Amino acid sequence: MATFTGYLRARSDDELVALLVRRPDLATPHPATLASLAARATSRSSLDRALTWVDALVLQVVDAAVVLADEGAAPTREALLAAVGADDADGARDVDRAVDDAVALALLWPDDDGTLHAAPGLADALGPSAAGLAPPATHEADEPDDPAALLKDAPPGAAQVLDALTWGPPVGLLPPTGTPAGDAVAWLVRHGLLVRGDGRHVVLPRTVALALRGGRTHRAPALQPTAAGAPVRDPRTVAAESAAAAERTVRLVRQLVARWEQQPPSVLRAGGLGARDLRRTAQALDVDDAHAAWLVESAASAGLLADDREEAPTFVPTLEADVWLAQDVPQRWAVLARAWLASTRTPWLVGARDERGALRAALDPELTRPWVPRLRRAVLEVLAAAPVGAAPTGDDVHDALRWRSPRSVPPRAAVDAVLADAERLGVLGAGALSSAGRALLAEASGRPDLGTPAHGPVADAAAALGADLPAPVEEILLQGDLTGVVPGRPSEQLEELLDLAAQVESRGGAVTVRFTADSVLRALDSGLPADDLLARLSTAGRGRVPQPLEYLVRDVARRHGRVRAGAASSYVRADDPALLAGLVEDPRLAALRPRLLAPTVLVADASPAELLDALRARGLAPVAEDASGTVVHAVAPERRVRARPRRTDPVHERPLPDRAARVVATLRRASSDAGSDAPASAGSDAASSPAPGAGRGADADGASDVDGTGAGTVADRVRAVGARRPAPGGRSRPAPAGAAAAPATGVAGTPEPGDVLVVLREAAQSRAEVWVDLVGPDGRPDRRLLRPLRVEGGRLRALDPRREAELTVAVHRIADATLADPTTP
Amino acid sequence: MPDGPLIVQSDKTLLLEVDHDQAAACRRAIAPFAELERAPEHVHTYRLTALGLWNARAAGHDAEQVVDTLLEYSRYPVPHALLVDVAETMSRYGRLQLVQHPVHGLVLHALDPAVLAEVTRSKRTAGLLGARVDDTDVVVHPSERGHLKQVLVKLGWPAEDLAGYVDGEAHPIELAQDGWSLRPYQEQAVEGFWHGGSGVVVLPCGAGKTLVGAGAMARSSTTTLILVTNTVSARQWRDELVKRTTLTEDEIGEYSGTRKEIRPVTIATYQVLTTKRKGVYSHLELLDARDWGLVVYDEVHLLPAPIFRITADLQARRRLGLTATLVREDGREDEVFSLIGPKRFDAPWKDIEAQGYIAPAECVEVRLTLPDHERMTYATAEPEERYRLAATASGKNGVVDALVAKHAGEQTLVIGQYLDQLHELAEHIGADLITGETPVRERQRLFDAFRSGEITKLVVSKVANFSIDLPEASVAIQVSGSFGSRQEEAQRLGRIMRPKADGKTAHFYTVVARDTVDQDFAAHRQRFLAEQGYAYTIVDAEDLGDLGVAR
Repeated sequence: MATFTGYLRARSDDELVALLVRRPDLATPHPATLASLAARATSRSSLDRALTWVDALVLQVVDAAVVLADEGAAPTREALLAAVGADDADGARDVDRAVDDAVALALLWPDDDGTLHAAPGLADALGPSAAGLAPPATHEADEPDDPAALLKDAPPGAAQVLDALTWGPPVGLLPPTGTPAGDAVAWLVRHGLLVRGDGRHVVLPRTVALALRGGRTHRAPALQPTAAGAPVRDPRTVAAESAAAAERTVRLVRQLVARWEQQPPSVLRAGGLGARDLRRTAQALDVDDAHAAWLVESAASAGLLADDREEAPTFVPTLEADVWLAQDVPQRWAVLARAWLASTRTPWLVGARDERGALRAALDPELTRPWVPRLRRAVLEVLAAAPVGAAPTGDDVHDALRWRSPRSVPPRAAVDAVLADAERLGVLGAGALSSAGRALLAEASGRPDLGTPAHGPVADAAAALGADLPAPVEEILLQGDLTGVVPGRPSEQLEELLDLAAQVESRGGAVTVRFTADSVLRALDSGLPADDLLARLSTAGRGRVPQPLEYLVRDVARRHGRVRAGAASSYVRADDPALLAGLVEDPRLAALRPRLLAPTVLVADASPAELLDALRARGLAPVAEDASGTVVHAVAPERRVRARPRRTDPVHERPLPDRAARVVATLRRASSDAGSDAPASAGSDAASSPAPGAGRGADADGASDVDGTGAGTVADRVRAVGARRPAPGGRSRPAPAGAAAAPATGVAGTPEPGDVLVVLREAAQSRAEVWVDLVGPDGRPDRRLLRPLRVEGGRLRALDPRREAELTVAVHRIADATLADPTTP
Repeated sequence: MPDGPLIVQSDKTLLLEVDHDQAAACRRAIAPFAELERAPEHVHTYRLTALGLWNARAAGHDAEQVVDTLLEYSRYPVPHALLVDVAETMSRYGRLQLVQHPVHGLVLHALDPAVLAEVTRSKRTAGLLGARVDDTDVVVHPSERGHLKQVLVKLGWPAEDLAGYVDGEAHPIELAQDGWSLRPYQEQAVEGFWHGGSGVVVLPCGAGKTLVGAGAMARSSTTTLILVTNTVSARQWRDELVKRTTLTEDEIGEYSGTRKEIRPVTIATYQVLTTKRKGVYSHLELLDARDWGLVVYDEVHLLPAPIFRITADLQARRRLGLTATLVREDGREDEVFSLIGPKRFDAPWKDIEAQGYIAPAECVEVRLTLPDHERMTYATAEPEERYRLAATASGKNGVVDALVAKHAGEQTLVIGQYLDQLHELAEHIGADLITGETPVRERQRLFDAFRSGEITKLVVSKVANFSIDLPEASVAIQVSGSFGSRQEEAQRLGRIMRPKADGKTAHFYTVVARDTVDQDFAAHRQRFLAEQGYAYTIVDAEDLGDLGVAR
């Protein structure tokens, strides 16, 4: 009989790489041998992790495989298909795919004769009621062979009771006696169709349930939900709304960066943005608080804003923001969108309360959740799987996500938030995935085939958005009521002009603006002369500037600059104009840049202390005064900085195929070294991995020395030990011919615990007996023949057939375990 | 369509490009459900509001039509959320109906029991609703018909009032169309009102709203109560009715501060109805004095709050509201909607002007730079004094002089807010003055003299804002106003909008003090007119001499 380890050993390099890519936890930390890889792949935690991310259909398939194996023999693929209930061709195709998936994840493994075995430990990982069935009976009960036939004589109601329990869950509440239902249940219990549970409950035994299910394990295969009922939007609408949203987000982030450049908000002590600053930002951008929080988070994720880490820290635009600002709208959008997709931030939690009742602030370092990028991508994948233009509801998306990973259903609120964010970002348009969104996903997952048919396989998100953005309009219709309308999307130059000189009133297909005294003043303040402003307006307005608008600009220009203000660091005042005039002309003071504001007031670009020193050096006797004119004695300010803890950025790690490939190469080297020492005992190894070299002792470090001995099968390990020790195979028995990979022999030294575990798990699954070297409390070894029942939580539960007792041993007390020779029980 | 004339904005405004080939067709298509917000020269702005959409529902348009219209004329794809919102909003109108139940009398009938449940659970309907008849009906106390409708609009479930009207006391009234006839749009307005039962007709000043009222009365042929803003207006209604209908002076009564006549057609002022004596409204018996078949509200946008309360009790009678604008400075548009009724007819000013029924007008703002001493006084004045200081700047007299001289021989009105200023002005230009203190008889005399051309200049206070008819005024000079009231500006422009015998262009001048709140208020007031398409020209007082050249 083949084993899981043997199966793994027989995989090609590519298959192993694929496995490591799909189950990255197997490659971290680096496994040294294929045996430890197998041990890890069958450990509870790794299996749980793998099961977490399989879809409902794969779960059904592995459920069915475990149940069928429990009931008799390991099933063939056809038997699995039948058990899951794939009646039609479509269903069969999907189930087939699920079986392939399960095999690729090494949850199931095919034997040479085509039967499918569950990976050791999988049954435990699935829990006691796989497929909604009761746990297998521990002892043989007298259960009827044909429940359906028995039911003919059943009292009324009995059939309904069984119907209710047939497809699980298999436990029902015991109805009160004396009622018809109670009688029916009593009858069923009498005839062995139900079993008493804990007094209040009855359980439908597994065999009965399976008989009632007609030998199947599932009523029907859990097929992937399709968004067939979702409304389909006109592609033009999707493109227009997505482009509008994208353009809006880019514009708002630009405004955000510009605003924070002028008025950087301070960082809270806990890190994060104060609620008041957030509200102010929201008001300035004319969005609600939640939207503002999302914008701030998105900009920070894209690296456009950051904590300046000064003494009094503030959030300021980064150097990257300057690069970003110089780009075109589609490129700017792509930067934001990519950052959003990969970000671990959870902006939708901003404004909610945490466990301690404190408000969660935007940019709070604690608002990261490692699962968020996966959720975002999963949501986009669900949308991409729907027909082009389909706009599934939050419920649809949530259902699809539940199907994709039934053991890890994302919170509904998070799904809704991701959908809302996607809509704001323009990844969705009118609820349907836009071509830009599709390209974004294609780009992130390296699958150009996700590009829309309409645009061909566009894998560049920026280009896809660029195609959807309406052509920019250069023209504005200026009107007598001081409004202007840009009948389309304004071009960059026009947008800039309007930003400068007008107030936007509404946006959408067009932009309407109003010119007010304040807005014109803003333009003049920015250094644009009135004539230039009118010239630019005239160019944009097809040469027509209405009289009231022209009058407004001229009128504001007339008032502009009547009052002037400037900066000076210090001043000198004296009653003697001649003295001050002399100071201005004095070349020794030229470095301080003194100038007269009035005959008796002089200002300079130097600190008061410097100025005082310079004046004293010139032989004058100045005194310092404060704001109220009182004479003060200048004291050098005390300066201290606060020591701040280093922040460490989260490490971004993702097992890439090439990294996995390196792992596999090492594994191969380790096992092939071992294999080259004993080619005869591991025929299948030799076939799948021809020994590349033999210098293992030289290149392997100490750890892999020990691990290396456990590679592959126990037989290998023995050989490996042999290579290291002068007396190999002293205690090993020869392997039976033909059973190349069978762990039939030997025990030696102190093996890696993982190897022991895999031997025990395999034995538990195949109900084989194992020689176990136990170390007693006094340190003395004790060798016993045991039948492992279950390995879980660091404990082995096993049956000692000779003493007819069950025992539980901590795994660390097991020095070694070897399969007892099946031929000599 | 890819290059339609309409652009739909996400904030529910619709931009109509006027110069587009299909602009006229599009305007007709969207007029029933969108409110014209402003109509400057190139792009007109309409707005979709819940009230507007309900008005459209009341007029028999459904959401599908509205959505189709938007899609048909829109240049860019229409935001999906907006379409959903339109459909949702429109579907709310009429889910509840006020009907006469054969057994229980007036009931609120729901087409959707869930809505009724929501409404009856609301605190605001407590006391308005009686016993539950069944799942879909609940008894309404007849006296609360109006209040209930008000509350339902506020709850977002406007009820369709199908309970009908009392016929009222019949009284034969005919239009005396000898040598004149109702204009087509007036006919449409009457028809629209009559078909809808109750509601508001929106027509620009000078477009003949009185005749629409007369038409409705003829159509109804019942005793009629007409509510107007003031006594002068009441007299004008009486004169017009005598002239245009078969009614005689004896059939028309005036119910005002001076006279208390109740006749088959009674014209009452808002003022007298809202007069309280010892804390109670003492003239409400008028409402029950006769079995009125029709109640006409003139200048419905000025309806004072107590009249709303009274109107709430008049729900069983047909109600016709007449106004130039639904814009209310107090934002109580929804009460007009629920108590008087939905808008039944509307025509943009410019359209009617284009048809030649009102005079084209030219608006000019004259900016006066204050002399230094006045600027200093202004700069140091208390904020509440500032407007008065700026509005009554002495330099304005000179500007008015120049303008009067420029339009010598034309019928000229000088309108202002502050009596001191008006007295001074009247003296300055040698004209008569009409204020609130002027006796009605004297007012009538001066108006008649002005009408006949005997005098060409008249200085009036804000009493002239409403409902006085000065057919030949062709120049108006506004020296001060009620702060930033937009509807006052509209009314004042309305004074000179009546068509002139010689088809001349009317002139409207506003004199403001530069760099003061006066200028800001002027800007606010003008906004309404600028939005109606009357572009302002702004000139400096110093350049006034060149005005002729500038034009």
